[in-house]
Amino acid sequence: MTSNFTTPPSNPTSPPTRRSVLRAVMYTAAAVPLGLPLAACATGGGSNEGEESASPTGNADPKNPFGMTENTTVDAVIFDGGYGVDYVEFAGEVLAGLHAGSSVKVSPSTQIATELQPRFVGGNPPDLVDNSGAQSIGFNTILDQLEDLTDVIDAPNVEGTTIRDTLYEGVLAPGTYGDKFAALNYVLTVYGVWYSASLFEQNGWTPPTTWEEAKALGAEAKEAGKYLFLWGTEAATYYQTLAIESAIKEGGDEVRLALENLEADCWSNDALQATFTIMKEIVDLGYFKPGGSGTQFTAAQAQWSNKQEALLYPSGSWIENEMKDQTAPDFQMKGVPSFSVTSGAAMAPTALHSTAGEPFIVPSQAKSVAGGKELLRVMLSKESATNFSKTKLAPTIVKDIVPADGFGSTALVSQTDMLSAAGGDIFTFNFVNTYGMNPEQLPIWNSFLDGKKSVEDLTSELQAITDRIREDDTIEKIEVS
Amino acid sequence: MTAIPPTGRTLPSAEGGPAGPGDGPRRGRLGRASFDSVSFFVVFLGVPLVLFLVFVIWPFVQAAFYALTDWSGFSAEFNVVGLDNFAALVQDPRFVNAVGNSVMFGIFIPFFTIAIALVFAILITVGGSGRGQVRGVRGSGFYRVVSLFPYVIPGIAVGIMWRLIFDPSNGLVNGVLTWLGLDRFESFAWLGNVGTAMPVTMFVVVWGFVGFYMLLFIAAIKGVPSETYEAARIDGAGRVRMSWSITLPLIRDNVQTAYIYIGIIALDLFVYVQALNPQGGPDNSTLVMSQQLFRTAFTEGKFGYASAMGVAMAIVTLLFAALVFTVNRLAGGRDDRGRR
Repeated sequence: MTSNFTTPPSNPTSPPTRRSVLRAVMYTAAAVPLGLPLAACATGGGSNEGEESASPTGNADPKNPFGMTENTTVDAVIFDGGYGVDYVEFAGEVLAGLHAGSSVKVSPSTQIATELQPRFVGGNPPDLVDNSGAQSIGFNTILDQLEDLTDVIDAPNVEGTTIRDTLYEGVLAPGTYGDKFAALNYVLTVYGVWYSASLFEQNGWTPPTTWEEAKALGAEAKEAGKYLFLWGTEAATYYQTLAIESAIKEGGDEVRLALENLEADCWSNDALQATFTIMKEIVDLGYFKPGGSGTQFTAAQAQWSNKQEALLYPSGSWIENEMKDQTAPDFQMKGVPSFSVTSGAAMAPTALHSTAGEPFIVPSQAKSVAGGKELLRVMLSKESATNFSKTKLAPTIVKDIVPADGFGSTALVSQTDMLSAAGGDIFTFNFVNTYGMNPEQLPIWNSFLDGKKSVEDLTSELQAITDRIREDDTIEKIEVS
Repeated sequence: MTAIPPTGRTLPSAEGGPAGPGDGPRRGRLGRASFDSVSFFVVFLGVPLVLFLVFVIWPFVQAAFYALTDWSGFSAEFNVVGLDNFAALVQDPRFVNAVGNSVMFGIFIPFFTIAIALVFAILITVGGSGRGQVRGVRGSGFYRVVSLFPYVIPGIAVGIMWRLIFDPSNGLVNGVLTWLGLDRFESFAWLGNVGTAMPVTMFVVVWGFVGFYMLLFIAAIKGVPSETYEAARIDGAGRVRMSWSITLPLIRDNVQTAYIYIGIIALDLFVYVQALNPQGGPDNSTLVMSQQLFRTAFTEGKFGYASAMGVAMAIVTLLFAALVFTVNRLAGGRDDRGRR
């Protein structure tokens, strides 16, 4: 049959249909190189088209303060992490009830940056994004493409109260970059050291408040055949967070500001060195469960929450929800504020590291900016916030939501207790996330907790990262005061 | 050519058909382009060429261009900064470290994969009984099928599976070792120690690829006439001697191709390292170029700089291929003495 190609058609007046097929193919092939390059070019489709005016013009309808047009489908991309996405879906249903015809499409994602990068470049980002998780977009890269969310805070909530009046103090700070309130951090996170109240009660232990007490508890744990701490390889820097918290409580604000502003020798500060030194003692005494540097972090956390091989675990308050399915029955998770170093610390032992997390952003180029803001407004209503705390066992930035029984969660009660005990002594720090240092710090902390690094090594290597970023002019610095 | 209809032979070729065999001088084919020949070239040359240009060459050109810009990756705006990214690259200790690790993987993974695959392939094809017909060891059909299994598993699954096997507390490896009485392996972090993380990673990759390259070599050895082996055997050559002096020289080209293929895989390796040690390994000892590239692009928002890393990766890979060709040639690969 191959001979067909070498044989001229026997009747040239009626060409076979094969020709017309081939001709069509040929035309298509000729058209491809003309059409595709522009479409294939990542930055080719610029944002030259005129945008719709995003801000509402004097429409002060308290039921629709941002002037969301009718029959809008709000496009929300939500980080599918420890808190899932169903709380946004819940708010979406509430929104659909408030505005007949409109609805919310929630798309879960664990890879925010990779998934949304082409949409930001192409000028069609979603209306609302929960920019969270390990693959979140660095804020300094997209800041000028985000809406200022101050008008959301100043709008009345679904119940009619101005939203600003319903929030905890200081929760807007983490989402404020310069003078732009670009991200609304929805979940209130409390950092501390977590333990099983039932286990402690059985053994007559009390949770430590200073590092010396922690060391003493480590000896008792060893007698009971347990470890004081354990860690997982992707979460080794939880101990860095703990160390920084202790140092800030010991040395006060100057420790925090030196770290935040990437100062020279900021890691050599006395308070930090004292914390590192006693941590090193605990490492050398063998109170850390070995092998953490090769253990996947949730597997390691399960060794604490389920097998109870270690007594304490430093983490944020997401830990209860994260380990929900892998926690021993009657664990009774509770937390204490990070330990003080000495009794002469600058801050009270009740001082607490707490901040708002899960940053929600509304891109200015979104199809329905008003829809994104409206969904945020609904999420900040009493109904949605209560739903979140009840199902996720974590407080939102909306205050007076969690009842005294904490919806049956000891950890949630313990968080509200810690928050009220701390009063005004609440601090936070952002430099690790602002400059994306965590990936570089992880290997250093893994080696330190493994016992392979001295305090001097730890200090100089952490300082090297800080110094490199400070000296790199291409990285935009954010002054913290 | 018996299928050519008789009428076809009677038509003069000047009427537009491509010349058939024996229809005058060969260059006549190029001179007279008929619709048939044009459409043939369009379909079998033009379309693939267009697809190649659009989906392979064009992205390369784009990446090379972005390497010269400070594009953040999240907006449509950027400035051309010339070769600044490359200048920064050679001074970036993180990237230099990643290049070093990638080169280590690029040296050892192909070497061990090919060495093991060759040994297995020889055993299965010609390593059997020294009497009678040249054949493989008993049960070779079974081994051939089984050894391909790891290659069938996706890379990410291989990585996750081995990560669990090497888990310090609950993993199979430490379980077996402590059961044997080696107490120092209780909670030993294979992937968390600088001394073991890289060898373990190499082992996992080699494990995944040996089966496939073994099949490739089996096919190549099957192409060697068995008379050659029989002659060598009559001359008194043992199995090792036959492997070294007959098999290896005769399948040299296959080994070279395999070396370049695995080398390219080993210089990328993103899937495996991301599954085994997503944070770069202890002291960044398993951090490879592709991981650092991904971090720079998506975590740090520097797509221009990341594109420069991609260009650097391409250069390293091309250098590797050139090196393999050169070594093969220096070792006599273009020398026809050992060839059929």
